[in-house]
Amino acid sequence: MLFFRSEEHVVRWSRAQAVPSGAVLTRDQIWQLASAWYGDRMEPGWRRRSPAEAQRLFADLDLTGPFWQLSP
Amino acid sequence: VTAASELDRRVRLHIYEQFLEDGRPPTAAETGSALGLSNDEAVRSYHRLADRRVIVLEPGTVDIWMANPLSARPTPFRAEVGARWWYGTCIWDALGILAMVRVDGTVRTACPDCDEPLVLTVSNSDIGGDPGVAHFAVPAARWWDDIGYT
Repeated sequence: MLFFRSEEHVVRWSRAQAVPSGAVLTRDQIWQLASAWYGDRMEPGWRRRSPAEAQRLFADLDLTGPFWQLSP
Repeated sequence: VTAASELDRRVRLHIYEQFLEDGRPPTAAETGSALGLSNDEAVRSYHRLADRRVIVLEPGTVDIWMANPLSARPTPFRAEVGARWWYGTCIWDALGILAMVRVDGTVRTACPDCDEPLVLTVSNSDIGGDPGVAHFAVPAARWWDDIGYT
């Protein structure tokens, strides 16, 4: 996951590199995702999320649709 | 809770604490020595953690490549807290380092399209700094097909 100056730069770079257009998150969204995903990582009892838990975390951040589906 | 899972819990926490402290992940031998384990026990624990995708090992070795969000290999995503810094495996992870340590800091990267340096700041749990967007090329279901590329 890369960070670009703007969506226009994503489009230009994706075309030049023949990379799928994928999904674009705002700066606030990627920070919310990073906080939700990693905020508890230093807790001694941390365990890896189940796919269902991860899917719920995405849904709570409005990351829904086929791109964010963990099970194919 | 099995003995192995309790041991893996201690090993995992030690890996993260030392990675943050030293700026590099501990070897299995170092972890074994710190936690009073034999080298074999530490190696087996590293492999179990890797099998469960808690850490990622350098191919064919027991050396840690990733303990997400931390990356032992240099990347274009650097998280800084004061004079200390670590590489995140991607923009999500570099910001994740700041979220994980729960302190204010900065993430430095560059736009892959134009190479312009971009600086994100986290202060009091709020994001600021340069505007920009994160791009995910690989759908979630395929992230672990090639985690290095993802």
